[in-house]
Amino acid sequence: MLAVPGVYRTCTWSLRRAGFPSSFLRRSSTAKHVSALPPKLLERARILSAEHDQLSAKLADDFDAKTAERAGEIFRVAAAFKQYEKAKAALSELESLLKSNDAEMRELAQEDLNDTNTQLSDSSRELSVALTPKHPFADMPCLIEVVPGPGGTEGRFFADTVFKMYQAYCENKGFRSRVVKYESSDSIGAKGSEGEIALQEAVLEVLDEGSYAHFRGEAGMHRVQRVPATETKGRTHTSAVAVWVLPSFPENSTSSSASEWDNPESDFYIDPTDVKSEKMRASGAGGQHVNKTESAIRLTHIPTGITVSMQDSRSQHTNRESAWKVLRSRIAQKRREEREEVARNLRSSVLAQSQLTRGDKIRTYNYGQDRCTDHRAGVDFHNLPDVLRGGPTLGKVMEAVHTYLAESDIQALIADEAAAAIASTKAKNGK
Amino acid sequence: MPRLPPSIFWRARREISPVASLLLPVCRTLQSTANELRWIRDHVHRTPSVIPAGIRIWQLCEERSRGVPLQYLLKTQPFGPLEILCRKGVLIPRQETESYTFHLSSILSSSSSSSSSSSPLTILDLCTGTGCIPLLLLCCSQKSSSHFSCTGIDISARAISLAKQNLSHNLALIPSASSSIQFIRGDIFSTKFTSEIYAQHLPDAAEIDVLTANPPYISPSDFRSQTARSVRHYEPRLALVPDSVPSEVSKKYGCREEDVFYARILEIAGDLKPKRVVLEVAGWEQAVRVVEMAQAQRDTRGTDYKVIEIWRDDVHGVRDAGESTEIWGQRIRVKGEGDGRVVYLSRLLD
Repeated sequence: MLAVPGVYRTCTWSLRRAGFPSSFLRRSSTAKHVSALPPKLLERARILSAEHDQLSAKLADDFDAKTAERAGEIFRVAAAFKQYEKAKAALSELESLLKSNDAEMRELAQEDLNDTNTQLSDSSRELSVALTPKHPFADMPCLIEVVPGPGGTEGRFFADTVFKMYQAYCENKGFRSRVVKYESSDSIGAKGSEGEIALQEAVLEVLDEGSYAHFRGEAGMHRVQRVPATETKGRTHTSAVAVWVLPSFPENSTSSSASEWDNPESDFYIDPTDVKSEKMRASGAGGQHVNKTESAIRLTHIPTGITVSMQDSRSQHTNRESAWKVLRSRIAQKRREEREEVARNLRSSVLAQSQLTRGDKIRTYNYGQDRCTDHRAGVDFHNLPDVLRGGPTLGKVMEAVHTYLAESDIQALIADEAAAAIASTKAKNGK
Repeated sequence: MPRLPPSIFWRARREISPVASLLLPVCRTLQSTANELRWIRDHVHRTPSVIPAGIRIWQLCEERSRGVPLQYLLKTQPFGPLEILCRKGVLIPRQETESYTFHLSSILSSSSSSSSSSSPLTILDLCTGTGCIPLLLLCCSQKSSSHFSCTGIDISARAISLAKQNLSHNLALIPSASSSIQFIRGDIFSTKFTSEIYAQHLPDAAEIDVLTANPPYISPSDFRSQTARSVRHYEPRLALVPDSVPSEVSKKYGCREEDVFYARILEIAGDLKPKRVVLEVAGWEQAVRVVEMAQAQRDTRGTDYKVIEIWRDDVHGVRDAGESTEIWGQRIRVKGEGDGRVVYLSRLLD
């Protein structure tokens, strides 16, 4: 992928026409791949592959659900490892042929060498992806929360745009989505440049399983640079919108996870006694004497201080259920983040690369330059209207982020292995 | 009610919508005004009509500003997962009713799972109105796989026809309802009420498991001074104030005017001998009076309620604080938060 498509597209074409070798073109940093696998990873792959062979031999004799499940889990690693071994064997054979005296032989080997090299790097990449532990929430549906950053109404208007973008994206991609909360701020009358309303907070639920893995990379600060509708002097303003992606609970799944939030071990478990539930309505007479329409519910999780308020529906029952859903997701995400923080501290000695946290900006939408930049993947995309419509360009941006995330996960894994190795050698030396 | 400052009207006009200032006197707060306007808009956009949407929104806001209950304008009220149709002349289901019906359903499902009897639970709902209580009980029973057979009785023909409509309206959520629920017009003050009920509508020798009622319970003076304007002017007095009962009948019971329905229902309960009785009341004082009436039956008719509880406004999903009180030497458990809302009587020790 070109680092800067669009702007230089015409230039690169003219270069190509002029016979400019394509190897001189700068490629996006995301295209680089992990070619050399660290020995620790290879070691683990070998062990897992051996285990898989053993298990499949056992399964051939008598079928056992538990064994089959484990075999299924490590199947990908085993297959990738076999591919890798094959490519490696082929490479060593070719190398020996290269040293042969026969000139014709050498030529043939040279031809095959390139293919085998790409095969090797492909399979090593596949292997490292297979070895990367799957994110625990990866198979879950998700909630996408859009909250405007601090500042004026401009951020709120853009929050509405971002929310609509994800809604449209889900529609285009065929994800089932549902608006859980869509709350505008006090100044409801005012309209932004494209009929946006000032958003206070909005939550979109994507019901498809596995959507957490799909949208996980969208979490972070989204920055906008544009001339607001209210600006009279034509100055460009910068504001920010926070997007949080939370794992949500499948509504009526039959798997074991359905009962998971009743299980105190689960990330989603909330002790009901920790939650204060308030109905936000005037006190006074009740029952037949009055006819209340207020249905707002506010839940406060006392240990963490997280509050969720919900007043979208006329039904208090629906509001309460939505509020519980959002609260559970927020708490699960928080617990997960705390654990990841601990893991990050452990590996920071090995991995110098700065990790992105909640506060970092991840993406910029620049209206003036018709540009959408993802800062992590280091890619620029043009055709901003298509991005904001949730079109294929947004899909490309998200793909680039997926590649980035997969790579950083692998690097983290390698760093973890190295950290573990250092710790074990230290322990040995200590003895 | 405190006067609203003019500035809040300006804010409603400027920040919400010009029509919002119409709603403000009824809704009282900006947040609640914004919500009601949004629901009105949603309703208008969901129901197509030849009249332009803007005019319909304005008309609805105008009617609402005169105090017409929102539920009559939008024609529905959510009640748990159900959508209950509302029409002029029938009482709108209240949130408190929703809360205690959920609580009752959780009690029933836990007791039916422990007894594991296959025969369906018979539920009799007096003064059923929209039919919301039996419908919600039935809806909750779908999950717990316990079988209910419900009968709803009301004196108003409008209420009975609306209850039947509600049954067909919510059939998607409660598919078993058409066979397990019936709504019948009947006057509970008629002297032949219990014999007629048995003769015509209940299966032979059926034991009634639960008797529920949300009868009119507001005294005429409270109706004038304590009720909200929209309730006083637009909801049926028949469902709110028990003064439709002939005075010689109410004199017979020798109780306060607003308690006459409870006297009659407890009398019926003495004949039908239901296992549990759930009565909605106006507040703490009335709850205590109803408990005393129930206890008095022990001496006069030998009806012994082993468990007596008073439930407050919010009882479902609220942690039990272990509150209790003592009336006539019997310990009464008090559950929930808010004002006294329900008197729960049970012959079973559970």
